[in-house]
Amino acid sequence: MSDLAFATAAVPARLPVEYNEAIVKKFLIASVFWGIVAFLVGIYLATELCWPSFNLGLSFLNFGRLRPVHTSAGIFAFGGNALFATSLYVVQRTCRTRLFGGDALADFLFWGYNFFIVMAALSYVLGYSRSQEYSEPEWHITLFLVLVWVLYAVVFIGTLLLREEPHIYVANWFYLAFILTVAVLVLGNNAELPVSVFSAKSYVVYSGVQNALVQWWYGHNAVGFFLTAGFLGMMYYFIPKQANRPIYSYRLSIVHFWSLIFLYIWAGPHHLHWTSLPDWTQTLGMAFSIMLWMPSWGGMINGLMTLSGAWDKLRTDPALRFSVTAVGFYGMSTFEGPMMSIRDVNALSHYTDWTIGHVHSGVLGWVAFISFGAFYYLVPALWKRSGIYSSRLIAWHYWIATLGIVFYISSMWVAGIMQGLMWRAYDQFGFLQYSFAESVVAVHPYYVIRLLGGLLFLIGALIMVYNLIMTVRSPSTARQEATLPSGVAVAGG
Amino acid sequence: MEIQVSDLLVGLLVLVLGLVGLYLASGALDDEIYIFGLGLALFAAVFDIGLVKRHYDRMQAAQAEAKRHV
Repeated sequence: MSDLAFATAAVPARLPVEYNEAIVKKFLIASVFWGIVAFLVGIYLATELCWPSFNLGLSFLNFGRLRPVHTSAGIFAFGGNALFATSLYVVQRTCRTRLFGGDALADFLFWGYNFFIVMAALSYVLGYSRSQEYSEPEWHITLFLVLVWVLYAVVFIGTLLLREEPHIYVANWFYLAFILTVAVLVLGNNAELPVSVFSAKSYVVYSGVQNALVQWWYGHNAVGFFLTAGFLGMMYYFIPKQANRPIYSYRLSIVHFWSLIFLYIWAGPHHLHWTSLPDWTQTLGMAFSIMLWMPSWGGMINGLMTLSGAWDKLRTDPALRFSVTAVGFYGMSTFEGPMMSIRDVNALSHYTDWTIGHVHSGVLGWVAFISFGAFYYLVPALWKRSGIYSSRLIAWHYWIATLGIVFYISSMWVAGIMQGLMWRAYDQFGFLQYSFAESVVAVHPYYVIRLLGGLLFLIGALIMVYNLIMTVRSPSTARQEATLPSGVAVAGG
Repeated sequence: MEIQVSDLLVGLLVLVLGLVGLYLASGALDDEIYIFGLGLALFAAVFDIGLVKRHYDRMQAAQAEAKRHV
């Protein structure tokens, strides 16, 4: 038997798989669009915080109504669409099969999820809200989201079950944890009864401190499973692809997965330090938060060490720079979070702008940067282009956005610690040394610096939008060699 | 060309959602439910029209392909 014949007999021929790439493109475009919306609303809110008269005296422009528009646009619209796009791309590629459920179901996921976003934003602007952070939509909008989410789980799990590969790649484990846990969290935190089926108002079944505990079980795990586990799925697929190297340690990725999943779910009570929540519950939340250091840093090390022997690529590939910097920010914010969960540190940091700085180091540095890295990888791959239109523009985006984050988080650190110190300062007679209004005046310069940071981040994102549009349209990025028909790719690619 | 089962099931699900939307709008006690109900009905109508359109687009493409091979 010749070598060629032996090879042919040993390795069965793989037929090209026609992946559903149209749905990935739609989610990707929506993510970029909502990202710009989220950044714009954030900048407007930062302006209102500097100069409150910018609300123009209009009810629908006041801070209380626009704030959930900003957070929902950032987390659920920008982040959610990015997670849909990448999870549906990754699960098809790593399972070597087309999405389960047909194109109509995939289309329903896209249009249904974005209908939820539009309806939620509209309701906030009109003044309808459950007044629970990151869980503001009233019962009817949440019920619609649950339907979309269950179908998302059906599509994802169905695709996993139909896989042509024996192994389920670790990125899919993280995506699956994100999908299943978010479903449980939303259902648990939205156990409520509407006043009438024809009324938007509803009342949650929990009351008092129980409601607060369930809310922060939901709220912290929204961070843990939506903003962390899902984006770790992105990290575990796109960094090895961009670096063209395998994960540093597959075993560590599995340890990372199970320890993160087990520990995160208990950490919520750290949002309720020094409240009427029983002390032992606060201590439990703090202890589990501190233990989270280990899996978080294990994951960060795994992501960074994937570049072992390929660090030079950071000089030549600015898109990879985004992904790697994101992992750095992941490590930094997952160090800061457990530190802030220590009760005595929390006594200083809670209710101050330090928390805002911490959240933005995570969402801008980790969530947005890892998404930008994935977008720069995906757009040429999906639109069958030879590469990104301009690496120079990616580098500009990277440095402007990084500078924006530095301005944002450092100003909020200073403002937050100053607020905390001013609120607890006593004079020699035991009276508070500063009024609350004095602390508001004191942070004004830092609010202006934060606004500048947000503006820089938006400018960077607009550069990305231009670069991505030109990547799709410019003749300079057209592929020279013969290409497969749209949507067809060699399996495992 | 046969109708795909998934298209039919999703189309029917969205049809039911549209009817629920109209029902909510018909008895709405506040602006929010009225807007949501009408929005849901509009969403359902546009989605199902798109589904029908794509079905006929596929059918025409298949017919054109078949003619090319005759």
